[in-house]
Amino acid sequence: MRKSFILAIVTFVCLSSCSKQQTVVASGSKHGSDRKPAPDFTLKDENGATVKLSEYKGKVVLLNFWATWCGPCGVEIPWFIEMEQKYKSQGFAVLGVSMDEDGWSAVKPYVAERKMNYRVLLGNDSLAQFYGGLDSLPTSFIVDKDGNIAFTHIGLISKNEYVNEVQCLLGGQPVESASTSASAACPTK
Amino acid sequence: MVKRGESAKQVLKAVVLEGFHVNSDKPKDEFLIPLKLTWDTAGPLTVKSISYPKPEEMDLNGSQMVVYTGTVPIETEFSVPKDAPKGQATVAGKLKYQACNNHMCFRPSTLDVHFTVVIE
Repeated sequence: MRKSFILAIVTFVCLSSCSKQQTVVASGSKHGSDRKPAPDFTLKDENGATVKLSEYKGKVVLLNFWATWCGPCGVEIPWFIEMEQKYKSQGFAVLGVSMDEDGWSAVKPYVAERKMNYRVLLGNDSLAQFYGGLDSLPTSFIVDKDGNIAFTHIGLISKNEYVNEVQCLLGGQPVESASTSASAACPTK
Repeated sequence: MVKRGESAKQVLKAVVLEGFHVNSDKPKDEFLIPLKLTWDTAGPLTVKSISYPKPEEMDLNGSQMVVYTGTVPIETEFSVPKDAPKGQATVAGKLKYQACNNHMCFRPSTLDVHFTVVIE
């Protein structure tokens, strides 16, 4: 049977959105007086329970936006499991907000497989707008005990950075040198 | 130009920008979103098969992944029905992908693709 070749189509995948995003990969820390309140939200967890961010006032919260399809997010998850276990008794909590469009049908099996021990919530686009759009994942915010955003991270960073920042906000000193100057020392409150 | 009753191959070349990758059509991790090309079945041609190139192995912090970078040629074999209408026709499709670099991922996205063919 004869076969003909039809003209090739050239499609540029990720042409504009990715190149824009490349420029916003940055970590940032804010000193106490410069910190802005973390936008409050009410979401459901995997058990259907309502979770309100403002209820976590008095605790240091690692608010991590992630998705099951995000490889770098999966790298961070074991770190967060460990941190939840280690610092929970000191007033620390991880909140993992999934941005999966397929909802709990995608998220629940992942949470079970990875044995995630912290609270997982299902996010939505309107929440994303309050947190800068969340065009790329992972994006994490470390919220201080007053409910203000102390650190922002877009993209994968090192475990040490997270640990140092959380220890700072819990009132301790960082135990390990961080890879960037942003979190090498505790920001003053 | 294709003839009624024959087969035709079409190659779609997707170009992934330098520094980024997309998952292959069969990612190792079930949770990852595969690259997937679909053609509108309402078009004048019938899809016989879609072939993706061999992916690259990539290590992401200890996780083995199979991905595409650079130019990704995706080959579709169509059959041209004997009763297909003669003349110029447009075949439309969608390319679903999910792109990342080593530090972050972008939300899944779908591109509209199309090509024009003359059936004789």
